Amino acid sequence: MDMVLVLVLLPIIAALLLGLFPYQRLQYIISGATLALLSIVAFSLYTSLSDFTFHLPHNLNILIIVADVVLLLFFLYQGRKFNNIKVMVLAVAQLLLYGYIESIAPVAGRAEIVVDELSKFMFLIINGVGGVIVLYAVKYMEGESASPFKKRLFVGALLVFLSVMNLIVCANSILLFFFLFEMTTLASYLLIAFRGDEISRENALKALWMNQIGGVVILVGALIAIIGFDTVMFDTLLESSGGVLMLSVALLSMAALVKGASLPFEGWLLGAMVAPTPVSAMLHSATMVKIAPYLILKLSPVLAATMVGGIISLIGALVFVAASYLALSRSVFKEILGYSTVALLGLMMALAAIGTQESIAIAMVLMLFHALSKALLFLSAGVLEKQYHCKNIEEMKGMVNRAPKTVGFILFGFVSLTLPPFGLFMGKLFAITSVASLLNEHPAYLIVLLALIIGSALLVLLYFKVASALLSSASDVVQSETMPISAGFNIPLVVLSFFIVAGAVGYIMMQQNIFVILLAFPMLFVFALPSIIHSMERYDRTLPYQCGEKGSFDSALVYYEPSIKIQRAMYWGFGILFVAVALVGAMS
Amino acid sequence: MIWVWIALAPILGGLVYGGERVLRARMQRRQGPPLLQPFYDMFKLLDKRTLIIHAPHALLALAHFAVLWFSIAAIFLGWNLLYIIFLHLFAQILLILAGYSVRSPYSHIGSNRELLMVVAYEPILILVAVGFYLVSGSFEIAEIVKGENYLLQIPLLFAALLIIVPIKVKKSPFDVGEAHQEIVGGIEVEYSGVFYEFLYMSRFLEYIFIYSFVYLFGGESHWLGAVLVFGVFLLVNLVDNATARVRPAHMLKIIYTVAVSLAVVNLLGILL
Repeated sequence: MDMVLVLVLLPIIAALLLGLFPYQRLQYIISGATLALLSIVAFSLYTSLSDFTFHLPHNLNILIIVADVVLLLFFLYQGRKFNNIKVMVLAVAQLLLYGYIESIAPVAGRAEIVVDELSKFMFLIINGVGGVIVLYAVKYMEGESASPFKKRLFVGALLVFLSVMNLIVCANSILLFFFLFEMTTLASYLLIAFRGDEISRENALKALWMNQIGGVVILVGALIAIIGFDTVMFDTLLESSGGVLMLSVALLSMAALVKGASLPFEGWLLGAMVAPTPVSAMLHSATMVKIAPYLILKLSPVLAATMVGGIISLIGALVFVAASYLALSRSVFKEILGYSTVALLGLMMALAAIGTQESIAIAMVLMLFHALSKALLFLSAGVLEKQYHCKNIEEMKGMVNRAPKTVGFILFGFVSLTLPPFGLFMGKLFAITSVASLLNEHPAYLIVLLALIIGSALLVLLYFKVASALLSSASDVVQSETMPISAGFNIPLVVLSFFIVAGAVGYIMMQQNIFVILLAFPMLFVFALPSIIHSMERYDRTLPYQCGEKGSFDSALVYYEPSIKIQRAMYWGFGILFVAVALVGAMS
Repeated sequence: MIWVWIALAPILGGLVYGGERVLRARMQRRQGPPLLQPFYDMFKLLDKRTLIIHAPHALLALAHFAVLWFSIAAIFLGWNLLYIIFLHLFAQILLILAGYSVRSPYSHIGSNRELLMVVAYEPILILVAVGFYLVSGSFEIAEIVKGENYLLQIPLLFAALLIIVPIKVKKSPFDVGEAHQEIVGGIEVEYSGVFYEFLYMSRFLEYIFIYSFVYLFGGESHWLGAVLVFGVFLLVNLVDNATARVRPAHMLKIIYTVAVSLAVVNLLGILL
């Protein structure tokens, strides 16, 4: 209980301290200390066994209602200010729904805050990865062209966002969940618009209205829960049965699809890539979008082996393939990472919606390791952007000569996403086994299995295509200039890499399977190779074979893009599937 | 005993490769090289002066060979098929990274194609593994070889596997990865001497790798397995002599339409 309070309040206190003291060094100390404290608390919570619940005081509940109304009015104002009809309409719809719900909501209920296994696991991801990103953000903002106050505000906002995230994963009341959901939407909106230019503004508004759809479906879901079962609590709702239960749950899972930027909503997450890199890393990859699989996991006891669960698995699986495929047409590094995030979120949701014990565990593992690896990749992308001014993979050709260390981190990120024995790979491997074992009972999961296999192959193509751009380097007889990577960037990257390795070791050991441990053997071998690099000096060097051509070699990258017709069909298909979730929910 | 086989795997693969060259020569009514030619080649390579582009490039070839050998060992030891497929993927990725790490057009295009090949055959291999799992109840090779009648139960998966065998043994119509006439061997072109030898030996191991999948369809009957391997061996070389190379994108299309549909139809047949 106290520890949860620490998780919620500490980031806010740290944000205040940052606001008070403008000294650069102090900022590092504060964010470093916050990271250390938060991860220790989260880890000790994770290892503690007991679940606990508590009520919010009445006054606080009223405060939340007021804050919620203010928030929605702020959205309305933003919609009015920038003349965006969609934002306005959705804000009004939410205001009306919210007002009506609060007027009929049952007063008494079970505890608003419930900390269970899933919440503790989420604490681990949010604070471990989020803390590292905050530490990185301090250095990143130094090079940003903004006023010192705005820079501190930025880091402070990231910290406050951490506490919002910490609260959302233990919210048991749907209305509290809605409030925090809207808070994350607000954070997204403000931080995407941070740079204040035309594109940022436009993309921020796009993110706003798309996420508002999520807010609306949550409210409708809550309304149905109140009418059907007279409750606004997740746990009471999930324990009930029959009636309109499936409809309510279906609507809530639709909010997850929106937050997880599943197609056709992937536009907001890609637009969000114009934001400063720490925002992309924190909100749009490592923590905030994880609300999507989290929500499906929370609902999975009801979703398991139902039509609604089936259709969400289907959407998730198809998104996994479609987003991986679409990523192959992109050349901006962060957009590529964004698409692959959308893809993997789809996979996590698909596994969570299957809802067997095994698939739930795998979805959680994927969540953790995806957060770590993607944070590492995004932060490395930020280094390339800040130190070398490269955003596009076309500009990154031969980067390994100029930024060997950063490229090393990126390659490590790719390897940790695709190869044994790292966590994300192991997750995919066990997912194949797990889904295959369900096939006899549910032949329809063949689609999920197929999507899992093909999507993984496409992601391999995607990552190593990017690697091809980074790697093409000259013979090592030609010396090239390298720029050292500054400590403020280096430390967060090292910490994340350490987490990835430690996590992989821990996960492998947990399997208690000697063969799984042996899978790590080749990777150890490869990592040991640099130790014999000195013995390579006895071989003579030569230049690559150019078939007699004298001109310098420029490696071309390969792009694959579906035709406009296919793209349109794809969006329509996913749109129909999205609506179908509600329809199926209504029918069952 | 099994460890001896594992240790001898490159030599075994070398014999298969040598035998293949003899067979192809006979098909084309040529004299052809002797059976042991691959080994003569290797001794010749040892005498050559080794030139390298840069150290990581050379070491990755070594790592590729080592990891590939590891995955072959896993096959002989009867491990989980999925682990073996992914270890093999790991080995391929190392080779691809090696190809990308030099500023050479041939090496780059070779790597691009090699990557496409991985994307093409990888799903089929996994689907074959899933097929074995559904029929025999296990992903472990040690369990799979105790079953029987695989050919009757998963014939279309066998056909799908047949389609991807030429990719792995670098035979027409899917020999896009080395394609000597267009890209002079792709990744191989930048290697020489002892490091080329590693690549040369990994080619032998690839033969063992893919033909083990064919062999598995024989189940507990060693004879059936051997006959299948020999039959596929003949067929692949016949097709190699009779067809021209397709373009990489075309290869991907063929695999993803024909082979994947065959595999899916077969899996659906088992399930329904």
